[in-house]
Amino acid sequence: MITLNRKLKKEHTVPSNGLASEPVKRISIRDKLLIKEVQEMNENLPMTCSVHFEDPNVLNEFILTVTPDEGYWVGGKFKFSVFVTEEYNMAPPRVKCLTRLWHPNINVDGDVCLSLLRQTSIDEHGWAPTRRLKDVVWGLNSLFTDLLNFEDPLNIEAAELYNKNKTEFQAKVQEYMTKGKR
Amino acid sequence: MSGEDFDALDRGDNDGQKSDKMFTLKKWNAVAMWSWDVECDTCAICRVQVMDACLRCQGESKKDSYGKQDCVVVWGECNHSFHFCCMSLWVKQNNRCPLCQQEWSIQRMGK
Repeated sequence: MITLNRKLKKEHTVPSNGLASEPVKRISIRDKLLIKEVQEMNENLPMTCSVHFEDPNVLNEFILTVTPDEGYWVGGKFKFSVFVTEEYNMAPPRVKCLTRLWHPNINVDGDVCLSLLRQTSIDEHGWAPTRRLKDVVWGLNSLFTDLLNFEDPLNIEAAELYNKNKTEFQAKVQEYMTKGKR
Repeated sequence: MSGEDFDALDRGDNDGQKSDKMFTLKKWNAVAMWSWDVECDTCAICRVQVMDACLRCQGESKKDSYGKQDCVVVWGECNHSFHFCCMSLWVKQNNRCPLCQQEWSIQRMGK
């Protein structure tokens, strides 16, 4: 048994240098996973979310729209682009916020700070291949409610304003939302 | 079988009276159920049964470069199981079980 284990270990550790052929295979793995996950995501979409695929044949790219029904961002409509890379599900999808907004965890460039989208994480909150698209949608949706985090902000200014004056913070959130609508 | 049934049988045997047994047991069929001794029978990484080949290996239906078809299962000390192929890709970036976050160490491997 021990020798078999060693043998297997040896054989399986070798391919890391044969990376050249790997990306080709991975495309199909991602797409195979996505066929199931997109369906699952659609079936479990929160009331405040909708997804749109530019090209219905390309499952690895879509727009998620969140329209919060509670919290500071009520009345707003926030679009996120979700891009699932070839490394999925070893790597998390890449997410950008397309709507300019005032939020402690999303900066004005659209970078999103959400733990489950973090590739390397030492705790259980980071990305893991056990996570699925529906978890990503749930996470982004929760950024406006449960996962809203002023303690570890990406937009430091927004968090500071919140700590200083909540009314002003709310006003600034509103200001960005009106600007965004035009 | 309920207690009452046993009572009926006992009376019949002990008293030797003319049988008032409702029934006698003539045959007993035992059915045993089994499952793999793992907490999860589906690989949480590729979502294919651990006893089947993983999603990657299924895609390459041909034998791999080592001339082997086997896609083995690996059990961690945490008792979670995955395809070896799937897990070895993941531990390269994070040496923890993706299900319980424990430090990943292999308990056993095989089919």
